[in-house]
Amino acid sequence: MLSRVIAVSASGLKSTAPLGAGLIQASRSLHTSSPSLAPVPPLPEAGKVRHGIVPEEFFQLLYPKTGATGPYMLGTGLSVWLLSKELYVINHETVAALTVGTVFVLAVKKFGPSFASAMDKMEEEKAAWIEDVKDQAMACYVDAIEEEKKEQWRVEGRSMLFDAKRNNVSMLLETNYRERLHHANHEVKRRLDYQLALQHLKVRMEKEHMVNWVEKNVVGSITAQQEKESIAKCISDLNVLAKNIQAKATA
Amino acid sequence: MVLTLILGLFDQFFSPYFLGVPLLAIAIAAPWVLFPKPSNRVINGRSLVAQNSFVLNFAKQILLPLNVGAHKWALLLTVLMVNLITLNLLGLLPYTFTPTTQLPLNMGFAIPLWLATVVIGLRNQPTIALGHLLPEGTPAPLIPVLIIIETISLFVRPFALGVRLTANLAAGHLLIQLLSSATLFLIDQMWPVAILTGLVMALLTLLELAVAAIQAYVFVLLLSLYLQENT
Repeated sequence: MLSRVIAVSASGLKSTAPLGAGLIQASRSLHTSSPSLAPVPPLPEAGKVRHGIVPEEFFQLLYPKTGATGPYMLGTGLSVWLLSKELYVINHETVAALTVGTVFVLAVKKFGPSFASAMDKMEEEKAAWIEDVKDQAMACYVDAIEEEKKEQWRVEGRSMLFDAKRNNVSMLLETNYRERLHHANHEVKRRLDYQLALQHLKVRMEKEHMVNWVEKNVVGSITAQQEKESIAKCISDLNVLAKNIQAKATA
Repeated sequence: MVLTLILGLFDQFFSPYFLGVPLLAIAIAAPWVLFPKPSNRVINGRSLVAQNSFVLNFAKQILLPLNVGAHKWALLLTVLMVNLITLNLLGLLPYTFTPTTQLPLNMGFAIPLWLATVVIGLRNQPTIALGHLLPEGTPAPLIPVLIIIETISLFVRPFALGVRLTANLAAGHLLIQLLSSATLFLIDQMWPVAILTGLVMALLTLLELAVAAIQAYVFVLLLSLYLQENT
């Protein structure tokens, strides 16, 4: 695992600090295909390892010459040689190494799968969230298309709406005009009626005044002599009439 | 490789040399090699996901109690944490040199950062910074004594930070060495006791793993607390 880390970090070193700034621009000439919107290729498979540390490629390297047990023999022989020649001396660090190694291996065996699945779950949640954003955006667009179609249908009915509105307005204008006409008529008639009534009044007053004057003059012109004569005549007429009626009654 | 494997008790604390070439810089820069840089991908592999989530969650946690002006320290605190925890954990491997067991390195981390927090506090809000020297609610007769005590406490802080980290890690390493020497010796003499000692070694390894992480965290947490006081 760590052996691969060195290789990876060496390539990572290439694009770090002072070079990094210009490297993006400078390496543009090395791009063979134009930058596209094609989906990013999936993550490469993690390198195969045996016993957690040794890469599979090492076993493949030794396989043609030494077969399947070659690397194991190499490991055993190498460690036995180091120990026997005291090139590697067993000291307290050996015990410490064994202890730390055991603890580490047990920890990885116990917590490894759950840790890995937790990491995978985090990435899956992130991917699901992004997909969700995309789906929601698409749903919004589909709704927008529906709304747009509805708006287009509404536009077709707009001319009828405008005609109705125009009719409405002209009717209002007509009504208003007629009202004002009626009002004007009414006012003019009122004024003419007033003048008429005034004239009638004048004529009537003149008539009454004349009648009163005639009466007054006539009554004033009757002298006392005339009055006596007319009263005597009336009495004699009445006597004659009474005699006639008596005669008719007794006859 | 030949002669250095005949180890004394304090050999792991000596500055590493190989054929006369000092390796201290490599030992201190070791964490840089182990962390991949963030990729351009949205969906990453597991190690990168773990690294990213650790860094982001730690930064969020450490910055929660700090006000916005102190957020400039986010990168520094996070990098310090990652560096310290990696140095500590790498030291648990056999035959490694742990730079954080060296007092000068830890003082080199502690003194400038602590001094920066103090200077920031005195520069931006001198009254409040000096006000920290007198805790609230002290009875009047105790005030002079308490100010002296708090000043001493203030100046002891960098030493406390540095020595805490150094002592914890050095003591842990020494314990591992002693116990493993004991186990090795007892395998000849009384091997059942060696098994017992081996068990204690295993437990101690677990403790050391925890201590490595916790001490790094405590270092950074205390610095963030000092920063919180002063901003």
